[in-house]
Amino acid sequence: MLAQPKTPFLTLDRVTKIYGTTTILDSIDLTVNEGEFICLIGHSGCGKSTLLNMVSGFNTPTSGTVTLQDRQITEPGPDRMMVFQNYCLLPWLTAYDNIYLAVDSVYPTHTEAKKKEIVREHLNMVGLTESASKKPGQLSGGMKQRVAIARALAIKPQVLILDEPFGALDAITKEELQDELLAIWRENKVTVLMITHDIDEALYLADRLVMMTNGPAAKIGEVLEIPFERPRNREQMMNSHTYIDLRNYALDFLFNRYAHLDD
Amino acid sequence: MFVQIDHVDKVFPLANGGSYVALKNIELEIKQGEFVSLIGHSGCGKSTLLNMIAGLDRATAGGVILEGREITEPGPDRMVVFQNYSLLPWLSVRENIALAVDEVYSRKPKGERNSIIEHHIALVGLQHSATKRPNELSGGMKQRVAIARALAIRPKLLLLDEPFGALDALTRGGLQEQLMHICEESGVTAVMVTHDVDEALLLSDRVVMLTNGPESNIGQILTVDLPRPRQRMEVVKHPDYYPMRSEIINFLNQQKRVKQRQAAKSTQVPQTKKLEQTTVNIGYIPLTDCAPLIVAKEKGFFAKYGIEQVNLCQETSWDAIADNLVSGEIHAAQMVAGLPLALTLGMNGRPSTPISVPLVLSRNGNAITLSTDLYNQGICTLQHLKAAISNVTSDRQLTLGIVHSCSMHNLLLRYWLASAGIDPDTELNLVVVPPQEMVDLLRSGEIDGFCVGEPWNTQAVQEGIGFVIATDLDIWAGNPEKVLGFTETWVEQHPNTHSAIVRAILEACEYCDEPRHRPEILTLLTKYLTIAPQYIHPGLIGPFDRGGNTLPENLPRYHQFHVENANCPRRVEGLWILTQLARWGIVPFPKNHIEILSRVRRVDHFLTACQQLGYIGIEPDRDPFQLFDGQVFNPEDPLNYLKNQPIHRELEIKEITLA
Repeated sequence: MLAQPKTPFLTLDRVTKIYGTTTILDSIDLTVNEGEFICLIGHSGCGKSTLLNMVSGFNTPTSGTVTLQDRQITEPGPDRMMVFQNYCLLPWLTAYDNIYLAVDSVYPTHTEAKKKEIVREHLNMVGLTESASKKPGQLSGGMKQRVAIARALAIKPQVLILDEPFGALDAITKEELQDELLAIWRENKVTVLMITHDIDEALYLADRLVMMTNGPAAKIGEVLEIPFERPRNREQMMNSHTYIDLRNYALDFLFNRYAHLDD
Repeated sequence: MFVQIDHVDKVFPLANGGSYVALKNIELEIKQGEFVSLIGHSGCGKSTLLNMIAGLDRATAGGVILEGREITEPGPDRMVVFQNYSLLPWLSVRENIALAVDEVYSRKPKGERNSIIEHHIALVGLQHSATKRPNELSGGMKQRVAIARALAIRPKLLLLDEPFGALDALTRGGLQEQLMHICEESGVTAVMVTHDVDEALLLSDRVVMLTNGPESNIGQILTVDLPRPRQRMEVVKHPDYYPMRSEIINFLNQQKRVKQRQAAKSTQVPQTKKLEQTTVNIGYIPLTDCAPLIVAKEKGFFAKYGIEQVNLCQETSWDAIADNLVSGEIHAAQMVAGLPLALTLGMNGRPSTPISVPLVLSRNGNAITLSTDLYNQGICTLQHLKAAISNVTSDRQLTLGIVHSCSMHNLLLRYWLASAGIDPDTELNLVVVPPQEMVDLLRSGEIDGFCVGEPWNTQAVQEGIGFVIATDLDIWAGNPEKVLGFTETWVEQHPNTHSAIVRAILEACEYCDEPRHRPEILTLLTKYLTIAPQYIHPGLIGPFDRGGNTLPENLPRYHQFHVENANCPRRVEGLWILTQLARWGIVPFPKNHIEILSRVRRVDHFLTACQQLGYIGIEPDRDPFQLFDGQVFNPEDPLNYLKNQPIHRELEIKEITLA
């Protein structure tokens, strides 16, 4: 793997979020390098979506700061794009128009030809050129998520934020999209923050895995460095001792040290 | 047996008038108190199978039997837990459970019913939420209510259809442990559909892996021999855990590739009935067991299915057959049974060429013949042979002829020798010789014996130069000897011609096993083999003479072309062959053997042909079997068999990726 520049790119500095009298997140510190792939894992209710919402700017910290390249984040912006588990596509627009809408609103001064080219390029990137004129209702879950990823990337964000993007997909589609995401990440040199509940997914994708403790007042419990060389071979990686050790370490964190029942 | 899923097929009619075969020939027995998981990709029919056990659906063929009674409708002895909980939203936790208990136990006194209800609320740890309604509960809690409700009426069978599929992976983890403890405590027999490998391993005694539809069947069964009671962190740290996990993932990856391949093919050529070509070249070696090909041509079976001209191309060796099939010079061929598998895996540095086998052409028909010289030295049994080889008084090693490294002759001869502790590579010389040259070399003394098909053993016996020390009936009665092979590419480009050839030859196989046709077949073989009928007659029509002062004996299955389901290209037999090819270092053992066997041993093509001809065709069960020495071959654990073979070369096990 090429050495990433180790200048702080995205910085969360003592970020705390309190709703009423409940502390959701308690003094989170995290520094992300440019081009890094970070996964966050934790039981439901640990505030990981809240955390990502403060990076995207949909939410702001009660105290502490989130900084992207020396600029404090206080509101959403096209430099940070989100992809959600439930796709969030406009159902009355085609795949093409869903992406076009995003491009048009971020780059209103681009020529029509330029905008069309961007849309086509990104549809092609996720292999959906032939489905450009289909509406979300005519697309499978995997295809819808591809449109959402294409839309997010079409406006050239610096940070791509994914909130459990593949949670609703079957195993085969999930692996295909993971591979596509890695290829896109490599080519676009975008910084990725992704929430997942799937340890195997995190170990395959991430440079670092951020493991959260349980809420309320959740913290970053531990950060695992994932040392596998890239490009990664899923099968070889899964059969290595390092993989099994990391996986068991994460399982122990989640099901033993920070076990959680949902009632 | 507690539950028996007895050769179940499930066929759904389609709107266009066709039909979709979801499940094919599912055979599974479940013991009382066992926890069995069904795992497979979406569309593999696992929920369909569960529904048939529940009685919510009926099998198209076969049936499901619970304690000796066939399941025909739902009943309180089988409770199903669905992914979506199916709770009544206007009732509390307690009322949801009470509804089921009061319905099923209406004759029990109120007090007893209440204690059943409270016991099961406590069992799933919901005492503090008993008065809450479903919309006040998390997904995991709702599913615990559904489980409590199911168990409260004391079913014989708990059926779980992806019970935690709607929950995220981490929430699932906690509930799996709870479910495991509940099942261990209640001792209920359970069948669970899942796609979560860790879930299956944590909970199950056995994991049943289903192949993709259409025609899903059981690809492999993994026995999870982890001690109970189980605890997740102990389970994942058990030395067997990750090997078992990768076994299941490996299976699912194989099936994933199959699925992707199917998806890529589904856009191919529209179906017409027209034959793509009406002239076909079929390669064969002149042997008694090539009879079905000769009969198919001479008795008009090819013509019956529209193939106007068939050139039966006599080849000089099995390697020549392989070369000419791969090059396209011949379109189909009689092949020794291991050859299609070895070509598919890529043998001797050849690139991999997937070969498609729709039929076994013949079973048995081989023998091991040694020279009369050896007989005169007192070597008439395997033990004598072993003793003679061990006494290193003789100045030269014995040389035995085989017809090809991938043939059953080689594999059975080696198996037979090794069972007596003879290493066929270091204590003997095995040389490859075309079948028709064996007798000449034995006569000239260049070889001391051979393993070959007929008529060459009989010729050696009748000429007085050899005696049969063992027939393959003595080693593995019913072994698959010759198969019909095509390149997969040719089959894909000529689906109708392929189908016509398979039907013609299958009918010819049936013709060959009719005793009254045998004299006519003898005449045809005499012509094709250019050899006197007296050498073909024994074993085909008359008693078989082993020579060496034994009486001729009737061996009615010595040449078996059709009866007893002989033509089915059973995958477990292919798996046995794969173990032996790897044992002797001929090709590596493919980690993805299920995928390889489903590509090569085309049971689906066989069954389609049977259906078209009105034959009863079925693939027999995947039961363990044994050869003459009694070592059990369990198809669920081929590697264990391979590693425990008395003599073997260094084993190479690897994934073989096919185009």
